[in-house]
Amino acid sequence: MSNTTNECVRETHGDLVLVRLRGEVDLSWSQQVRRTILDALGAAPKVGVELSQVSYIDSSGIAALVEGFQSARSSGRKFGLVASSGAVMSVLQLARLDKVFPLFPSIEAAQAA
Amino acid sequence: MNAIPASAPLSADAEARRALGFLADLSQALALTLDLRQTLERAVTRIADFMQAEAASLFLRDSSGRLECRVCVGPVDITGLKLDVGQGVVGRAVAENATQIVRDAQTDARVNSRVDAETGFVTRSMLCAPLSTAQGAIGALEVINRRDGGLFEQADAEILRLIAAPAALAISNATLAEGLVEQQRIKRELELARKIQKSLLPKRRRGDFPVIGVNLPAHEISGDFYDYFDLPDGRIAFLIGDVSGKGLDAAFLMVRVASLLRWAGKSAPAPARWLASVNAELCKTLQDGRFVCAVVGQFDPRDGSVVFASAGFPPALRHDGHAFEEFLADGPPLGILDDVEYGERRLELGDDALYLFSDGATDVRDGAQATLGSDGLRRLIAQQSDLAPEPRLRALIGELKRLRLVDDTTFLLLQRPRGKAARLVLTLDFMAQPAEMRAVRAALRGALDAEEVPPELRDQLVLVVDEACTNVMRHAYCTFCDQRIALRVSRERDMLDFQIVDDAPAIDPERVRPRELGECRAGGLGVAFMDSLMDEWRIRPRRGGKGNVLHMRKRIMSGEQE
Repeated sequence: MSNTTNECVRETHGDLVLVRLRGEVDLSWSQQVRRTILDALGAAPKVGVELSQVSYIDSSGIAALVEGFQSARSSGRKFGLVASSGAVMSVLQLARLDKVFPLFPSIEAAQAA
Repeated sequence: MNAIPASAPLSADAEARRALGFLADLSQALALTLDLRQTLERAVTRIADFMQAEAASLFLRDSSGRLECRVCVGPVDITGLKLDVGQGVVGRAVAENATQIVRDAQTDARVNSRVDAETGFVTRSMLCAPLSTAQGAIGALEVINRRDGGLFEQADAEILRLIAAPAALAISNATLAEGLVEQQRIKRELELARKIQKSLLPKRRRGDFPVIGVNLPAHEISGDFYDYFDLPDGRIAFLIGDVSGKGLDAAFLMVRVASLLRWAGKSAPAPARWLASVNAELCKTLQDGRFVCAVVGQFDPRDGSVVFASAGFPPALRHDGHAFEEFLADGPPLGILDDVEYGERRLELGDDALYLFSDGATDVRDGAQATLGSDGLRRLIAQQSDLAPEPRLRALIGELKRLRLVDDTTFLLLQRPRGKAARLVLTLDFMAQPAEMRAVRAALRGALDAEEVPPELRDQLVLVVDEACTNVMRHAYCTFCDQRIALRVSRERDMLDFQIVDDAPAIDPERVRPRELGECRAGGLGVAFMDSLMDEWRIRPRRGGKGNVLHMRKRIMSGEQE
């Protein structure tokens, strides 16, 4: 397993605001992830959460993504997951949420959406 | 010893040499004897000859402390005559531990004239020397009437005192030796009794039999017992008891009570009725305030249920690996009140252990004479709780033996087998804080990798354990404080067993329900993961009111084969 330190970075790619997560998303900092996602949704019409470097995500991390998705839907914005790692995909599948979120293989695909 | 020429008059020197020679012969004969009784008879005859006496006798203390004539030579046989210490010349010699000289028996108040009156013998002059040992006089040597009609003199008294010394030594040694032989005989017989008693206890069953007993007598024999046997319906009947008192009488009674209880239990009666029937019988026959403490019951290893009743026995202890629950007796000991009705109780033990033990188990003493007590015993049990039942009981007994047993100690352990070897895979004890979870996950991943759990399943198990722990933090502890969580993972063949224990207030297990998966909302996913990924899980409050135990099991297909 990677020893990547946890990181939550906000990047702007045109009209897409990207929240790039790294490390293991768990209860110890999922509130920070949630806040960053909701803030991004307040500032941009299109928000993607980049998950390629996420080696672990727990239900509180999933909850932050769910909240972002629900918030975007209620305010007419776009929200999707970008380049989800295998670890993230298996938890999404487990939660049967893999068909709920718009999933994009790359930033470019997300921008194009 | 040589025959002594009796008549020739001798000089004082020659007299002294003759005495020394006689003494040497006598001492040697007594020292070398293999048959003291025979040697003493011959010795007393020769003493009579040497002292030129008409009669001689040897008195020894009997077991009641009286003096009994054991050897006698002369015209009147007084063998078997008994005197009290202090009575007559012999009694006085013993009482005072001093040689007595009676010059004129007819006028001396010390002389017991009864024998003369009964036998027609005329006692004229007497000498009596005590048989002195370190423990005082053990008897006396007496000579009566000089054959030449003369009186015994002080010099004769001195010689008799000298002769008495080796006799006393020989008799004392022989008595000690007899005592040792007797002790060894008793020891041998007790050893036989112990073997017979031991043979009455049930043989340990092979394999994972769910009832294990052990009996440690404080001495050779025991007043404790236990037994178990199969019932036709598949249950196992068990009994354990402790007869009041120690020693042979308690041991004999134990044999009787154990068979009585066994017979009464053959027809699988309800435990309360079982006790009542044996109680009625014992009340008719027990004497001297004796009584019997016992527990009887039936255990069903298929579903882990047990029903039992206790007559004055120490509290039964249930242990789930973390906490104890105590069950007090359901009535008084057997054999005291003949119309007692006993209660009984039914427990769903599941995989928990039920310990039944006689009071010897808590009465063991440490070096400072302090008793182990109930808390101490619980501590010992808790220390061994990771072991399978049989090695656990062995370890427990080992610990007790390191202390000092003062009473018979007997254990009966009821527990469904957990399989051959539930092997510990991981134990962690950590602060109930989310920041701890990364390290917990890493440790768990490592442990599961070592068990060759496939990566996909490994990650799912890590997720479920993580969710369970964070649920404890969020919902049981509520606030992140300095509480702890204990995680224990064990493996039994291809079954992984996860146990998560907290100290939070007991939660209502009914309220822990999985949500629907696929529902797009935040929260409640953890239990849903647990529900869908684990083969089984259950949450229940810890015994004792505080804390919860979450148990989860998952069969893994790779790695160890059955």
